[in-house]
Amino acid sequence: MHTTIPAARDIAPRDLFSALRDQWKRDTLVESSMTAIVLHPAYQRIIGMGDRALPFLFAELKREPAQWFWALEAITGEDVASDDLPFAERVTRWLEWGRQHGFG
Amino acid sequence: MDLVERGSIESMFPGLRGTDWEQTSPADPAYNCIGWAAHDTMHWWWPSAHWPVGARRDTLESFTQAFQALGFGYTTNRDLERGVEKIAIYMKELIPSHAARQLVTGQWTSKLGSYVDIRHDLNAIEGDRYGRVVQVMARPIPV
Repeated sequence: MHTTIPAARDIAPRDLFSALRDQWKRDTLVESSMTAIVLHPAYQRIIGMGDRALPFLFAELKREPAQWFWALEAITGEDVASDDLPFAERVTRWLEWGRQHGFG
Repeated sequence: MDLVERGSIESMFPGLRGTDWEQTSPADPAYNCIGWAAHDTMHWWWPSAHWPVGARRDTLESFTQAFQALGFGYTTNRDLERGVEKIAIYMKELIPSHAARQLVTGQWTSKLGSYVDIRHDLNAIEGDRYGRVVQVMARPIPV
């Protein structure tokens, strides 16, 4: 998949996250495969940002909830909200976890 | 309900052009096409995510097992039958990509990823994104 997003060393973390988020959302808008969604190169680059992505991920989860749970779990190592919980409950649990850890 | 531009959906699914289709829900990231086919709008059904029954593999067998657990059986008849609910599984490059559920009108309803629901003809969303319908399953409509 072609990407024009600059390397991390050439762009501020906030701008990098925004660019990767936009590309991921655009490319996976009508994708149903969770496998394809989380293996998308932009999503993987967000995971690769590590802790630097967390403030943006929690802000995004609050602003416009989406399937950010895999990234949050991969970066934090925490299993906060199982796939078997309803989406809204997963959002609530992760936002609460974020508040408890200084995000939001 | 916020209506999205028809052209944006038709550009992704060119087979919709000139057919009878409409958007039937706003965008919603909570559920996907498999959940929608199973009447579940709170979970994202996929073998690597929420998958109540069956093997957790991205294979046609896993998907048919999941729908069998909901009471569906194999059929080759894609037409509307009184008292019968049908779902259709699409595959692209040998991997399940999408599912649609038949409406009582005979048309089909689909959730497009995290985007919107649409009412459409079964074959109208076949193509580069979802591939083709490879299996139809049916069950008596629950009373």
